[in-house]
This record gives sequence, C-alpha cells and structure tokens, in this order.
Amino acid sequence: MKLFFNAIAQLPDHRFSKNVYQQLSHACLQLLASAKVVALILPLLFFSTVFVPPAPAYAQGATLTPRQVVEYALTLEKLEADFYRRAIAATQGGPLAGVPDMAKTVLVAYGQDEAQHVTDLSAVLRSLGGNPDAIAIPANPNYSAILGRDPFANPTDLLLAGQYVEDLGVAAYKGQVQNLLAAGDAGKTVLAGALEIHTVEARHAAGVRYLRQMLLNADVRPWVRNSSEVIYNENRGGSPIPFGSEAFDGYATREEVLALVGPILTTAQAPQPTPSMTPNRPTSNAPRALW
Amino acid sequence: MTNIRIPQTGIQETAHRPTGVFTSQLDSLLRKSASPSRRNLLKWGLVSFGAAMMTGVPKALMAQPMGSMKTLTFNANDLGILNFALLLEELEAAFYPAALGSGKITDAKEMDYLKALGSHEAAHVEFLRTVLGNNVLFQTSDLSLNSQGLNALLTDRAKILNTAVILEDLGVHAYNGAGPSLTNPTYILAAGSIVSVEARHAAGVRALLGRTTTEPENERLVQDTNLQANLNPFKGRAYDELYTPKQVIAAVGSLRILNNPINGSLVA
Repeated sequence: MKLFFNAIAQLPDHRFSKNVYQQLSHACLQLLASAKVVALILPLLFFSTVFVPPAPAYAQGATLTPRQVVEYALTLEKLEADFYRRAIAATQGGPLAGVPDMAKTVLVAYGQDEAQHVTDLSAVLRSLGGNPDAIAIPANPNYSAILGRDPFANPTDLLLAGQYVEDLGVAAYKGQVQNLLAAGDAGKTVLAGALEIHTVEARHAAGVRYLRQMLLNADVRPWVRNSSEVIYNENRGGSPIPFGSEAFDGYATREEVLALVGPILTTAQAPQPTPSMTPNRPTSNAPRALW
Repeated sequence: MTNIRIPQTGIQETAHRPTGVFTSQLDSLLRKSASPSRRNLLKWGLVSFGAAMMTGVPKALMAQPMGSMKTLTFNANDLGILNFALLLEELEAAFYPAALGSGKITDAKEMDYLKALGSHEAAHVEFLRTVLGNNVLFQTSDLSLNSQGLNALLTDRAKILNTAVILEDLGVHAYNGAGPSLTNPTYILAAGSIVSVEARHAAGVRALLGRTTTEPENERLVQDTNLQANLNPFKGRAYDELYTPKQVIAAVGSLRILNNPINGSLVA
C-alpha cells in the first residue's frame, strides 16, 4: 500500500495523458480528414431521412464485412486479455504487488471477461470460415507504446493505461455498428454479439475510471467528461450526434484504432525501445491477417 | 450466416417456476449490497420473468382513471424504437432529480454522480426529441408518473442507488435489444453513443454500492431461458444481453413508476 501511494505522488497522471493525446490527435487529424468531409454533410442527410426511408449515411471509415469485423475485434480482445494477464502477473509479487485488493479483484474479473470474448469470438470466426489462430498478437507486445513507458511498473500507470485501452475498446466496437448493420441479415448475429460486448467494455472502462478516482484521487469519473481523457477522437464535430457532450460516447474507425494499436503490436525489445506514438503501419512483426 | 450458438453455462430454468414473483426479483435487487445474503441468492434462483410477461402493462395504471391518460403506442420501426428509447430516457431523467430531492443521498460523491447521471439523461431526452421532431409520440407532460410507486423507490440510499442500477442496466439491455432492429445507420450510431454511457452509469453506481461493475447472470431481470435466442449469440457476465422491447416494458411495469398504458407492434 505504501509503495502504491508513493507511486501516486511521483506520477501525476494527467501530465502524461495530455502529452499522449496531443501527439495522437495530430496524427489522427490527418487520418480523419476524409471522414470529416463525410461528417460535414451528415446533418443534411440525417434530417432529410426523418420522413422518408433513410438514405445510407455512413461516417465510420472503411467498409468491413462481418468476418473482417470479427477478425479486427478478436485482435483487440486478444490484446486486452493479454494486457490483463500481464497486469495480474505483476500484482503477484511483482511491481504491482501493492495494488489494493479492490483493484486486483477488478483486474481478474475483467481479464476473465476479455478471455471469454476471445473464446467466443474465435468460435464465431470459425463459423464464418475464418481461422482465429491466424489472428496473432506478438508474444511480447510493446505495451510501453500506450503511455511511453512500462504500464506494469506502478499502479498509477497500470490504471491509466487500462483506462485508455478500455475506452478505446468501447469506441472501436461502436465504430463497427454501421458496418455490421449494412451487412444486413449476414451481419445480424455479429452485430448482436458486438453490442453485447460493447457495453461490457464500457462497464470495464467505467470500473477502471472509478478505481482511479477512488484509489488515486484522479480527477476522473466513470464517464468521459473531457476529450483529453481518451486517446481517440472523442469530440467528433459535424455529426448530428453531439459527441462533444459527455452524455454521448465517441467512436473510432478501424483505421484510427489500428493506428493507435499498431505500435503495441510490434514486439517489445529489451531494453524497452523509445516508444513511437506516431501512428504508422505495422512492421513485419505485426500479424498478417489484418492487413 | 450460419447459426452461432454459444453453449449456455448457466443454470437452466425449467418449468414449474413460481408465478407472480417478478417483483420478488426486483425486491432482491433493490436491497443489493456488496455481499448478498445466501437467502437473497436463493430467492433470485427462484424468480422468473414469465408471469410479468403476461401482464404487459403496468398494473398500477389499472387503478388510475384512464380517460385523461395518453396511451403510448410504439410501432415496430425506427421511429417507434426511438420513441421507446425516449420513454426510457424520460423515466431515467425523472428519477434522478427525484432521488436527489429525497434527501436520502447525502454523500458528496454520490450526489455528484446522481447529478451527472440526471444531466446525461436529460441530454438524451433532448437529443431524441430533436431527432424525432414531429414524429415524437408524447410530450414529457403526457407521461403520468405513479408518485406512490416512485416514492417507494426513494425511501433510503440503498434503494435509490439500486433502483438507479436497475434502470441503467435495463437501459443497456433495451438499447442493445433494439439495435439490430434499427435500419438507419445514423440512428444505430446514436444509440451506440448513448448505450455505452448508460453502461458507464450502471457500472459507476454499482461501484458506489460495492457491487460488481458488470452484471452477474443472477441479477438480470430476464433469465437465460427467457432471452430471445436469435438475439443473443452470447450469454453470461461478459456480455450485456439483448432484451426485446416487450421484455423491457414488462420490467418497467414492475417498477410501478409509470401509469400510461403502452401498446403497439414494437412491444406486442
């Protein structure tokens, strides 16, 4: 416990989160340029569809098939499950041994949920003719890419990284609902499954945020009050949906998510390399199935 | 697409379930704390949803004069779903100010949370009314709240917070359940941007109570056997299952906070 609070005193979390956000938002802006053009015309499409059969108004990046969505989701779930496995291992005598039981319980429960998602999405992918084993993550993912330092070194960084990962997961699932809807009947089951997972990721994000507020006295709530709290583009403008309001969660396209996750999907070197938060295409270490 | 059925691992409820005990499940959930008693757990094992499904309409309204009360008719289309969502948001938006006004919530953090939740629900109401425009089915003033039923949920802190959990969890299941029925891509994205906030609410209030932030199977108002199979490829704690609008309306009815009759193809 003492170690825990020492860590808090040493690491004011918001300093880092803003830096990360600024770096990311620059990179995201370029990626989003095309999406914004679409977003600008969305309000017109939106209000014209109230009285007539709705015209398609897609604003969510590349069109993916249900199978592609499952492959993408499975990648994220494998990473999340692996992230929790490492976090839990670090609480068992490692640098996170001082984490309060309240947080350990949550890490174990959320890790089980993510592992369940991996199991069930793997079964879905098989039923769609895919191969879940081909959706591989590196044996030693570079999680230092999340914060620019080892997230398993102290409780403050662990929970901040956990918040980023879970919030991004929520946005990532939300970013695929239009693709799955557009697939019609062929996408209905995957859509239902994605919705079932989407809000559980939101519960996880809220739970991690609650731990940060309770245990670290972080100025954060279970919901997103400020776009600087997340690493994706939360306050997307030009949409009929008021994403700038804290009552509405933002989404992220696959391109945006993979730009953020790509650096994690590279194998961590020893010693830890200087992390690059510049979104870039994954290198040869990345799984081939996705690109 | 081929059928994707994940084997159920939960206890299978079969026939011979007691009837009329949906309110028992609610009573249990309203008394929830971090360490539920064995007695309560046993109670949950016995409850079923079937009886409540038969009523469809809140019983409370039967004792009310029907003449001046607006009947809410939800059609099975996008506009019906958005109006249905609006009703849930209206109930949530009405609940939080009442909860804060009860004087039973005195902890600063809990007040902060309930205020935030109330403001979010009000924002959802405003948004849905804007989207629906002339297609909105009812004004806020058309809703007849059952003050007796509402007050019964506001008698102490635990009841208030547990009611918030019930409303928020139900909202999550309701939005999830309606999602695949929507046809307009903007609507489903909007529903998605709302439902994850409802899930954050549910988790946040659950955490205040020392309850798990995810929802264990035995706390669900709709048990596995009553879930619509083709809507729910996955089941269990790691998933927020999809409830049909009819199931949601039955659950809302059991809370006895709304007097208006409800019908229409969406909830039939």
